[in-house]
Amino acid sequence: MIEQRGILRRVLDGTYLLGGILAALCLFAIFVLMVVMSAGREVGLNIPAGDDFAAFAMAALAFLGLAYVFKSGEMIRVGFLLERLHGGVRRAVEIACLSVGFAFISYFAWSAFTFARDSWRLHDMSSGVIAIPLWIPQTAMVAGLVLLAIAMLDELLIVLSGRKPTYEKEPPKTAEELIERVAQGGGV
Amino acid sequence: MTLVQLSLILLMFMIAVLASGIWISIGLALTGLLAMVLTTNVPIGSVLATTVWSASASWTLAALPLFIWMGEILFRTKLSEEMFRGLAPWLQWLPGRLLHVNVVGCGIFAAVSGSSAATCATIGKIALPELERRGYDKDMALGSLAGSGTLGLLIPPSIPMVVYAVTANVSVLQVFLAGFLPGAMVMGLYSGYIMIWSLLHPDKTPPRDPRQSFLVKLRESAKLIPTLLLILGVFLSLILGIATATECAAWGVFGALMLAAWSGTLNWATFSDSLMSAARLTGMIMLILAGAAFTTAAMAYTGIPAALAGWVEAKQLSPAMLIAALTVMYIILGCLIDGISMIVLTAVIVLPMVQKAGFDLIWFGVYLIILVEMAQITPPVGFNLFVLQNMSGRDTFTVARAAFPFFLLLNVAVVLIYLFPEIVLYLPKKVFPD
Repeated sequence: MIEQRGILRRVLDGTYLLGGILAALCLFAIFVLMVVMSAGREVGLNIPAGDDFAAFAMAALAFLGLAYVFKSGEMIRVGFLLERLHGGVRRAVEIACLSVGFAFISYFAWSAFTFARDSWRLHDMSSGVIAIPLWIPQTAMVAGLVLLAIAMLDELLIVLSGRKPTYEKEPPKTAEELIERVAQGGGV
Repeated sequence: MTLVQLSLILLMFMIAVLASGIWISIGLALTGLLAMVLTTNVPIGSVLATTVWSASASWTLAALPLFIWMGEILFRTKLSEEMFRGLAPWLQWLPGRLLHVNVVGCGIFAAVSGSSAATCATIGKIALPELERRGYDKDMALGSLAGSGTLGLLIPPSIPMVVYAVTANVSVLQVFLAGFLPGAMVMGLYSGYIMIWSLLHPDKTPPRDPRQSFLVKLRESAKLIPTLLLILGVFLSLILGIATATECAAWGVFGALMLAAWSGTLNWATFSDSLMSAARLTGMIMLILAGAAFTTAAMAYTGIPAALAGWVEAKQLSPAMLIAALTVMYIILGCLIDGISMIVLTAVIVLPMVQKAGFDLIWFGVYLIILVEMAQITPPVGFNLFVLQNMSGRDTFTVARAAFPFFLLLNVAVVLIYLFPEIVLYLPKKVFPD
């Protein structure tokens, strides 16, 4: 079903990346918002409900990039037992992890969806100067979680078809490679 | 089912789930899920969505990605070379000579970065080959670098400090302020140890570099001025209380971008790379925080944290005993999992306990950060060991052995802040008198 370099593969990877780019844009928006708010206060310029917008951008940043984070292997797990397993056993454990992960994230996404739907039905509004219907920012949480669930299913199918999971990285071979990894946010 | 049985079931479940290799954030949330299934009829999905939403749509939390981004920008500048060349001429006269570049360089970089691995890699990139070329003792060079890299977590800004402050529901600003003096103290301990070691092993310190004229020295160091100004800016805005942590972080990003532009390393590639990296790291941390937020809410239904806190109170466990027991637990935990998971996994149980025992949560935050620092240099899973192992081409246990004296010094730091809590609390009390 999922072929190497097939059209579906490209659409999926593109969507994960798009989520990551949107998350990065949210970060940039938070930066601009905070600088303008902080400098604006000095000269009497006020951004109405700026705090609310920063908070919503923060939530969007947290969720939209998740699938991309997961695919690039940066979601942390306790790996030292797993790394000692090989062959079939390892594959079985990997399949179990992905199945549980997919099930939980799907449940999480569904809960987030009902949560946002209720906000929409009950006309929940943000309490700032500008009242914003809360379902709008909450949609970002739902979208990010749905995308993560898709990414997990995607990986599950890859492992089931006998290939190595995409998120599994070879240990770096050279110092430059490692610095590159650290530069890409490979740990705190 | 008694609380003891319930606690044991949940503990075993969490260990099993995490050890199986499930992503930590998911394993944490599953533990919360099980706790709720076993104890209440409250609709779980709605608790999950509500707690996670209110934990993530937070304005204070926005300091986290901004500080991460600031570090990511500076990581891509030429700071690494400039730091070595600018610091080396001034540290020649100390016993131990250029080994102090590791301590001071990491200390300075730590004041603009919130990450231990990035601090270690940035300073080590140049310092390690330079020290080796001059014939410095390899173990000492590696050990001091591994130890000093962890200062990235203790000296603000600090990513795990923001995580702690959000988890413990205390002010980010106050935890940051509390980190400065202990950070300076740990630098002092490291440098002191290097000096004593060099005096005991005079044959292992190579001769000084040829003398440079004062002007040449000054010209090399002048390149560090923008960085020092940036640090001073961040520090002053925190001390004077003129900006919130989030605003301070935004201006830090602004300063970092200026600095990168000035040094000629700011282009579209470094800009977009740093932004994407920061977004990825944020996503990873946020999912753990989301899992922790839900588990904290779920655990409140079980009554375990309150019961445990009550138990500690009833036992009349002395504060010293409690801290000693916690230290042993965290050191073991730190060998197995990363620092951020260590903070959020234990917060729900440990925080009510230490609060009942009369500890200040700001003080406890700094204590916990020092234990996270230890976790960075203890095998088999210590991120600084991993970084240095790759940079030096030696195996984890050699690096861990070289770092061991610095691990012990961090234990000394814990004892010192326990005996003199003012080291931690002086600055936060000064700025926030109440």
